[in-house]
Amino acid sequence: MSLLSTSAQAVPSASAADSTAAVEPKLLVADRVAQLYGQLPLGIAASFALIIVLAYGLRDSRQTWMVGTWAAMALVINVARGILWWSYQRGERGSSDAEQWMRWLAIGTLANGTVWGVLAGLFFHLQPAQENLFMLLILAGVLVGGIAMYAASWPLYALYGAPVILPFTYNLMAHELEALQALAVLVPVFYAACVGVAYRLNQLFLSGFRSQHAFRRLNTEYAALNKRLARQLEELSDARAQVEASGRKLTLFVEGSPLAVFELDPRGLALHTNPAAENLFGYAASELNGRAIAEFLFTPEQRIEIAARWREMLGSRRPVMLLGQPTRRRDGNAIVCEWSLTPLVNAEGRVISIIVQGSDITQQREAERLKQEFTSTLSHELRTPLTAVIGALQLVNSGALGVSGPEACEMTEIAERNSQRLLDLINDLLDLEKIESGKLPVTLQPMPLDELLRESLVLNRAFADRFKVHLELLGAMSPARVYVDRRRMLQILTNLLSNAAKFSPEGGIVEVTLQDLGAGLRIAVHDRGPGIPADFHSKIFNRFAQADMSLTRKKGGTGLGLAICKRLTELMGGKIGYDDRPGGGTTFWVELPKYTAGSA
Amino acid sequence: MTAPPLNRVSYIEDDEDIQRIVRLSLERIGKMSIDIVSDPEEAIGRMIAFKPDLVVLDWMLPGIDGPTLFRRMQARAETCRLPVVFITAKASARELEELRALGAAGTISKPFSPNDLPAQLRAIWDALPAHARGQP
Repeated sequence: MSLLSTSAQAVPSASAADSTAAVEPKLLVADRVAQLYGQLPLGIAASFALIIVLAYGLRDSRQTWMVGTWAAMALVINVARGILWWSYQRGERGSSDAEQWMRWLAIGTLANGTVWGVLAGLFFHLQPAQENLFMLLILAGVLVGGIAMYAASWPLYALYGAPVILPFTYNLMAHELEALQALAVLVPVFYAACVGVAYRLNQLFLSGFRSQHAFRRLNTEYAALNKRLARQLEELSDARAQVEASGRKLTLFVEGSPLAVFELDPRGLALHTNPAAENLFGYAASELNGRAIAEFLFTPEQRIEIAARWREMLGSRRPVMLLGQPTRRRDGNAIVCEWSLTPLVNAEGRVISIIVQGSDITQQREAERLKQEFTSTLSHELRTPLTAVIGALQLVNSGALGVSGPEACEMTEIAERNSQRLLDLINDLLDLEKIESGKLPVTLQPMPLDELLRESLVLNRAFADRFKVHLELLGAMSPARVYVDRRRMLQILTNLLSNAAKFSPEGGIVEVTLQDLGAGLRIAVHDRGPGIPADFHSKIFNRFAQADMSLTRKKGGTGLGLAICKRLTELMGGKIGYDDRPGGGTTFWVELPKYTAGSA
Repeated sequence: MTAPPLNRVSYIEDDEDIQRIVRLSLERIGKMSIDIVSDPEEAIGRMIAFKPDLVVLDWMLPGIDGPTLFRRMQARAETCRLPVVFITAKASARELEELRALGAAGTISKPFSPNDLPAQLRAIWDALPAHARGQP
């Protein structure tokens, strides 16, 4: 069995075509050895029989002691061969030590050959003629019988025959009988013929062994192949089960999807239509399947545009989106749909089908429109009455219409201040809405930041004066430029300066610095206000974030200023932040990258 | 030659409260003569009769809007040379540019301060080139 397993390990994946041609020489040796050892008991038995017969036949010869010695030697040698056979049977007969067994066998064979050689050399010429004939027959039998014994290895046979033939030929030549002298010429010829036969037999054996090996290997491979095939079949059946399961899942998804789903072939003809699509467009699946759905849903002008996108998708094999497509329903009503077209591509890169998903965004569109309308209403309709209110109060408070009593004055001033706050709030909300919807137009241009800073100080001085706070520009000013929207940059600076003024103690100084950071510029506004409470740190840039809402009412402000500043700063590529100021107060800062030609 | 002072203003506005405020602002503070028109359809006829130095148009008007009225004025020989200032709540850069492209002399955004309005109009008036003031 070890032989079989060895061959299986050595060539587990060789193809059947190879296996008939090349058989490992080692394995051949092992097979020959097995064959030779298989014959050995027969040879040993035959030898014993011959030895006994010869010893009996020669018992009356003149040199009885010589016969006795020869017979003893022959028996010992054959017992030794028997032991050799026995140990071969017991031991490991793998291909690795086959050559060693072969060598042992060769020694045994040579010894056995010698037994018969000694017989031929010592006793042949001593015998009377009829006994010589007897011995001649026995020796010929020994030689011919050896052919069968050693058919698996002709050199072994040659080795076996040589010690027999040499003394025998010599004795025949030296014999006084002329007939026997003539025989001396024939014996080597006979020997050569026997070796030749052994050689032919040997070839036959070899081809037999080869066929056996090839068959065995084919068998092994066939078994392995069978096993692999069985495994693959099993895997295939698993895979089919999985595909079926995921197919069922997919069907479930498609069937239950709130989105309209079509599967189209590359020509745009419907292969499948889900219930949501039936409901949304009012056509039964049976009406659409096999037809071009675009003809049902879109106008001829739309179809031209869609056909171009379709070709683009087939060419690139990438999904495309068709946004905001007016789509006709069966009842003639138009809805707005968002379509996504996803090509399904097989392993060869061919588009098999296209999954088309449509979602009805009519309501979403309507909501967006309402929101925009609301914003626009807020902007115009609220501002118009406020214009009247503020304008009227400003006229009264200016004194241009005559002077009212001090209490009336106070009241109209309160009214003006609060309507102004309302207006600020509306403006801030609109700004924030515009920034967040990406609709705030910013016109970025290179600007010297120091000039903007000086301008903002001038603009906010009057406001600061109301709080008896002085705004002061400190330190060296970098002339470097930044890439900003002038109006929005001033809005940010105004916010920071007015905040600082509002929160500074009366008579305080707000210090403003401009620092060159190398790649950027940093404006910092330092106040000596109450600082920002710790629990408020994370919220400071949120909407309506004022640590103390009563301050909003006392000092004005909408609570949206910093939220707007943060968004505006980020819109212009900058950063905004604040630090607690040593000795009390807060430093708000804005960092902007420097403008360099090409950086825009 | 120094610019002649701005004295006569036509104001086209449908909101009566704002009309009243602008009237007070321009008459009391600006010491100007003002003719206020509520109905934009009447505006051109009133302008021809009043012969203003400058016209102030609200952007949003009932029936026809400010820019449409402006285009109609430009189509009439009697009014095509009158400088026009728009008052608008729309403050986007694109819309202001649009107005300038139409040939507006200036824009004032809502809400305006009635205290500052006469000065704002005079600043626009003074900045106009002589031929744009309707002078020969």
